[in-house]
Amino acid sequence: MNSILNEFKSTSALCEEELHDSLYDWDTANGFALPTFEFPAVHNLNRFMKDITSASAPCQIEIQHGTTTLAFKFKSGVIVAADSRASQGNYVSTSSVKKIIEINPFLLGTMAGGAADCTFWQRELGRQCRLYELRNKERISVAAASKLLANMIYRYKGMGLSMGTMVTGWDKTGPKIFYVDSDGTRVDGELFSVGSGSPFAYGIIDNGFDFDLDVPSAIDLGKRAIYHATHRDGASGGTVNLYHVKPDGWARIGRWDVEDLHWEFQDQPKPSPINSSVIG
Amino acid sequence: MSGKNCVAIASDKRFGVKYLTISMEFPKMFQATDKTFIGISGLATDVQTLMERFRFKINMYRMNEERDFEPITLANMVSSTLYERRFSPYFVEPIVAGLDKNNNPYINGMDLIGCSTTACDFAATGTPEDQLYGTCEALWEPNLEPEELFETISQTIMSATNRDCVSGWGAVVHVITPERVITRTLKTRMD
Amino acid sequence: MDSFLPVQVSWTPQTAASGSDFYPYTNNAGTVAGISGGDFCVMAADTRQSFGVGYLINTRYQPKMFKLSNGSVLGTSGFYADGLTLIKRINQRLEWYKHAHDKEMSTPALAQLLSITLYSKRFFPYYARVLLGGLDLEGHGVVYGYDSIGSYEPCLARATGSGGSLIQPFLDNQIYRKTPLGILQAPHTLDQVKAVMRDSFTSATERDIQTGDYLELFIITAQGVDVEKYDLRKD
Repeated sequence: MNSILNEFKSTSALCEEELHDSLYDWDTANGFALPTFEFPAVHNLNRFMKDITSASAPCQIEIQHGTTTLAFKFKSGVIVAADSRASQGNYVSTSSVKKIIEINPFLLGTMAGGAADCTFWQRELGRQCRLYELRNKERISVAAASKLLANMIYRYKGMGLSMGTMVTGWDKTGPKIFYVDSDGTRVDGELFSVGSGSPFAYGIIDNGFDFDLDVPSAIDLGKRAIYHATHRDGASGGTVNLYHVKPDGWARIGRWDVEDLHWEFQDQPKPSPINSSVIG
Repeated sequence: MSGKNCVAIASDKRFGVKYLTISMEFPKMFQATDKTFIGISGLATDVQTLMERFRFKINMYRMNEERDFEPITLANMVSSTLYERRFSPYFVEPIVAGLDKNNNPYINGMDLIGCSTTACDFAATGTPEDQLYGTCEALWEPNLEPEELFETISQTIMSATNRDCVSGWGAVVHVITPERVITRTLKTRMD
Repeated sequence: MDSFLPVQVSWTPQTAASGSDFYPYTNNAGTVAGISGGDFCVMAADTRQSFGVGYLINTRYQPKMFKLSNGSVLGTSGFYADGLTLIKRINQRLEWYKHAHDKEMSTPALAQLLSITLYSKRFFPYYARVLLGGLDLEGHGVVYGYDSIGSYEPCLARATGSGGSLIQPFLDNQIYRKTPLGILQAPHTLDQVKAVMRDSFTSATERDIQTGDYLELFIITAQGVDVEKYDLRKD
């Protein structure tokens, strides 16, 4: 009898604790803790997530997805560019997403995969980086920041998070780009493009890239790469947003509607695929 | 989309596989008779196969009967052609639009096995069906003149395809009037 | 180090059901839309509540849009119980904020709060498609659109819910004037915006079986929130 009673006692205690957690999640006193989440009482969370997000579910939870992003290093820093379309299935839910996330004045993150996942965790990363600054009296390195992000999301590996992101910035070691994704990958690199439009963007960048590009040419290259991706990839579109990472932090360079870019680029002469001097 | 003694039919020009856009010159409509068009959306190979089959049947009819298909007869032909494949259907959703012998508009939308619905106002098929119907309902009004009808159908198809990832990349509009067919290509967003 | 604390989860395996049996959602559907103007914001929702796949109507009048204590308006569609829970949670947070800071929370702050509230249920989402409307700190109208797990963005005009995909392209056409053929000035007065909103819902009601009965317009201005009710088709 007692054991049954105890069971009830402990259950009710648990409920109170849960209630307390859910009510005081947002209390500023808990501000230094990592975010907490409510979980469904199922054995197989992965299966549950698949069930509720599948297209055949009676109430499909549709998650906004982001699509073409790129970042590359050149002699004057890093160019970061992205499109602005968010889609839910074939439906374009918005064409004005800011896929380049301003983590702090020196760090940029990009968004591909689940839009909410990227914005939430990079906002959280921004908070962690600020705490780091306050504790250590110096700015966090891009390597450390990206590792914080990778470690945070690694805890949720296999639970349905979907993000492919590039953390970029300029620290003591110079310009840096780290690719971080929800599988737990974290790699340092010179050039990345992430999202369903990335093959097209890679094509343009690889074709026109030179480390010694001047700033306007580098900007033009980034802009063209994103434009070409939006043109061929159904899940990319809207506008090109472009940032330039410099030693004193990032600068927002601009935003161009890809419709205008299409007609602008179409009127320009196309380079011949065969070198004319060879023929001549 | 029907107007006053005129009908209009429009389609986008994209051909793609999933999210990859392969061609931007793939209109999904063809002229069946002087005053009738068939528009087919769906699996591209079936679209092409059916266009050829319909062309064959239309020409056979013309030779046998020495007259052109009336739109309603044409719609019935399309419908029964689809139902022949009841258990291994073509993955298409056709629309027949035209003017009958009294120059009254006729519009017919079908599902993939030929269940036809005659509409007095408009019919829409394809991936942005919801978007098309919503916009049609809001923009269309009865008895539009050809130019007004052109404006309405253009606004409709552009607004609707801009909210669909896998439609767009140019659009073609045919406005069928008793005198002639006006064909125009629209400059649309290319993303 | 705080940042390396294990993640707290309220996991209760003793009450667990197997994955496929546990499906905690119902679609009560409905449509919500919002348009923001220079110094106002118009939010609209139908009042039909459907059940399941949509052939049953629970009730013809169950408002799914709510005025919050700070003067913003939150519209929900999808699973009504989830929407209601969300509203309760948000209202509670607004109350705490008021007591802690002795002022009402601004709409942009509320927009962020709503985002993280939705994301706190990332692994057990609210099946709610929400739209938040109000006035920003300068008094301009703002509408925030969301997905189910908290991705959000301010927009001029946004429609969501079962008829969202029918209304949105029309709003693009009328408010953003996106298509180059348009020659008309985009509607900007309150009366024009109200007219666009009513047209949208009459149109959506024609084709979406889960939208209909009545239309509620919430008109948010610096003076407060006015509610207007109109008839929609009931079939």
